[in-house]
Amino acid sequence: MTLYLLCLFLFCVGLYGVLRKRNIVKIIVGFAIMGYAMNLFFVMLGYKMHGRSPIAAIDQQVTNMVDTVPQELVHTSIVIGLGLTALLIAIAIKIYEKCGTFDITKIKRLKG
Amino acid sequence: MPNNPLAGMSIIVKSITRIIISMVMVFGIYIVAHGHVSPGGGFAGGVIIALSFVLLMLAFGKGVATSKITKTIASNLESVGALMFLLIALSGFSGGAFFMNILAKGAPFKLFSAGTIPLYNYVLGLKVGVGLFAIYLAFVVLEKAGKRK
Repeated sequence: MTLYLLCLFLFCVGLYGVLRKRNIVKIIVGFAIMGYAMNLFFVMLGYKMHGRSPIAAIDQQVTNMVDTVPQELVHTSIVIGLGLTALLIAIAIKIYEKCGTFDITKIKRLKG
Repeated sequence: MPNNPLAGMSIIVKSITRIIISMVMVFGIYIVAHGHVSPGGGFAGGVIIALSFVLLMLAFGKGVATSKITKTIASNLESVGALMFLLIALSGFSGGAFFMNILAKGAPFKLFSAGTIPLYNYVLGLKVGVGLFAIYLAFVVLEKAGKRK
């Protein structure tokens, strides 16, 4: 239970970065931290005590292995997170070109 | 590699990059090739290959990597990767179904085994490697386009 609460705390760190910070780069880092917290949560849900990785090996009988479905989900989620981060960075670069600042309180002209 | 002292980072970074870059690329190819017998596979190996190109670009400046792989070549290679993945999947119809493994399976835990699964890994490694490098390249091109204004 403590581990899940720590995971929630990590998610809240990311949420704080997204909601409270004014620099766009810090907001992007907050998004990334939120994604990592969710990935960690999913992998922890699938963990079994003393379970080993679900990979077959030569001359070994794998009996007690962790759940594979959350790991596949997290693999997909990492790829989507990569695309999301790339998109956010591209938007940030465009905003910097247009307004010359990363501070979201100083971005005035939205049109034109 | 061109040795322009003005472009890129310091001489220390350049020397270490010269030693390390081949190892990084060979490790990525190893991860792709052993994707069906050990952890790894097309995506992870492709990321490592793309990062070796990004390292080359960071250490030696923009010109070195973009002279080897331009944006057009990168996007074309990425499309070729996706199309070849689809072709291998469609070739399963000759065995009866989509994604059917039609080749000989071979012995387990050998490098050349598991039918078409290694082929999917190679093609996916190509697509992911070139695609990730194209994302990085797009940021550089974006920066250049912004300066021209």
